[in-house]
Amino acid sequence: MTAQIAPDPAPDQNAVAPSPGPSAPTIELVDAARWYGNVVAVNDVSFSLGPGVTGLLGPNGAGKTTLLHMLAGFLVPSAGTVLVMGRSPSRDPSVYRQIGLVPERESVYPFLTGFEYVRFNARLQGLHNADLASRDAIHRVGLDDAMDRPIGTYSKGMRQRAKVAGALVHDPQILLLDEPFNGMDPRQRMAMMDLLGQMAAAGRTILFSSHILEEVERVGTEILVMVAGRLAASGDYRAIRALMTDRPHMITIRSSDDRRLATALMADPAVFAVELGKDLLSVRTAHLSTFRRLIAGASRSAGVRLFEVVSADESLESVFDYLVRR
Amino acid sequence: MFARSVAAIPEIGQITLRQLLGRRRTILLLLLSAVPVLLAVVFWAARVADVSGFASGVLDAVGVTLLLPIVAVLFGTAAFGAEIEDGTVIYLLAKPISRWAVVVAKLIGATGMTAFLTIASVFVSGAIVLAPLGEDGAAATRAFVAAMAVGSICYVSLFLVLSLFTRRALLIGLVYVLVWEGALSSLLPGIANLSIRQYSLGVANAFWQMKSNEAHLSPSTALPLAVILVVVTFFIATWRLTRFELPGGTD
Repeated sequence: MTAQIAPDPAPDQNAVAPSPGPSAPTIELVDAARWYGNVVAVNDVSFSLGPGVTGLLGPNGAGKTTLLHMLAGFLVPSAGTVLVMGRSPSRDPSVYRQIGLVPERESVYPFLTGFEYVRFNARLQGLHNADLASRDAIHRVGLDDAMDRPIGTYSKGMRQRAKVAGALVHDPQILLLDEPFNGMDPRQRMAMMDLLGQMAAAGRTILFSSHILEEVERVGTEILVMVAGRLAASGDYRAIRALMTDRPHMITIRSSDDRRLATALMADPAVFAVELGKDLLSVRTAHLSTFRRLIAGASRSAGVRLFEVVSADESLESVFDYLVRR
Repeated sequence: MFARSVAAIPEIGQITLRQLLGRRRTILLLLLSAVPVLLAVVFWAARVADVSGFASGVLDAVGVTLLLPIVAVLFGTAAFGAEIEDGTVIYLLAKPISRWAVVVAKLIGATGMTAFLTIASVFVSGAIVLAPLGEDGAAATRAFVAAMAVGSICYVSLFLVLSLFTRRALLIGLVYVLVWEGALSSLLPGIANLSIRQYSLGVANAFWQMKSNEAHLSPSTALPLAVILVVVTFFIATWRLTRFELPGGTD
């Protein structure tokens, strides 16, 4: 997936063009839209995904769940095309051999134990050795100690892990997860992120929604950003940030002499603004790559040693913030 | 996928049973099922040896008219309705199994529970009052067991399909039972052709001659109508489930 930002104002051109991966995409949307009466939940969204982890970002009401439900075959697109493994997932139960789905709602049969729930999923998938596959899936999400307890006694994070175990017990090619880290403590989150990373490394396509940007940043760099039902951007979040040329980048610098370095930098037209703080120099520039070349030469000629150069707003938080406000 | 779908039926049926046997619902329905038995004890204690009186006053008026539709509406609407309400239905539908298999499993689970409770109630009541009254009493018991069996599958089929269309299935089901079958059917005899109660009593007629003012359909009319109802509702439920959509949620 190559990084792209949707063109800004024209509402009918806000979608990102499909960006086919190196191999045939496992998930593909072309001009997909879904509306309920007059309310447009998803509008003209196009993208394609192959193996790897992709974060689906967006604020509440952006259309993330609607998009995931369309991919899972539980919502028929009002317009456009949704393809999973090359075919429409709607009204075709056989597609669920290839899909594992973790819904946002946390309700799971409270009267079943964790093991019974995962085995139920395994049996409905027609697995020959459902018991073995269930134990393996439970082990992968770290629920071994609680697998014989009723799910009704689980914490929210444990229920989430049980849902994930149920969704991956048949080793699906595609895993769709709606806010999978909800309710998990930091240690559980880290473990789950590692698991998703391992599955992606094994060639699985994983798409998970989140509104917590740190989660996406940690699991993978590929993102889809939904804003008001539209795909605002797709691709590597750092590349997306670099494409935002209409907003200066903020760079913070620590050096042996911030004042002297500031004077040297201000002479260059690539620098918009310079601000001297306590032990910190903040610089605004339009072009990161130009600035990286500039800072090296400027510090050398000014005789200043650089201790730290950080692109302060390259974090996913700022990318997301920027796209939402755009 | 056919073999996998067939194999999934007992799995889903088992989950359905465990879901339906929630503590409060089970206690309520057990108490309801005990009402005909308690009345039977009263008849037995009063030494009333009247087959028709007991059949008409207890097995029909309490069993077929009240107990059967209430048990069926609670189980029938909950079989899918509860799962749609709490979102767990997604764990059934996101599986490579045909939708008809899910419907069959739900029907078996809810019908089985309804039939078990209502038939047990009739059987025990009949054993207390009718069994000592000879062949006539035994025939009446068999007739009402048949009525409960037919009524269970017909009512559950109707209420189950209703729950796939509306979240107010329980309310609409009760309105059907109380208004359509209760009030209107006594005023408009033609409604018998569209009344599950009449299908049940019509089939019971094959085993024991009911009073003509209670059963308006002959067995040869009631049974085909019951079969048509079950088949049609099964296909509608499968069609509806195939097109089942989840809401977009808050995101």
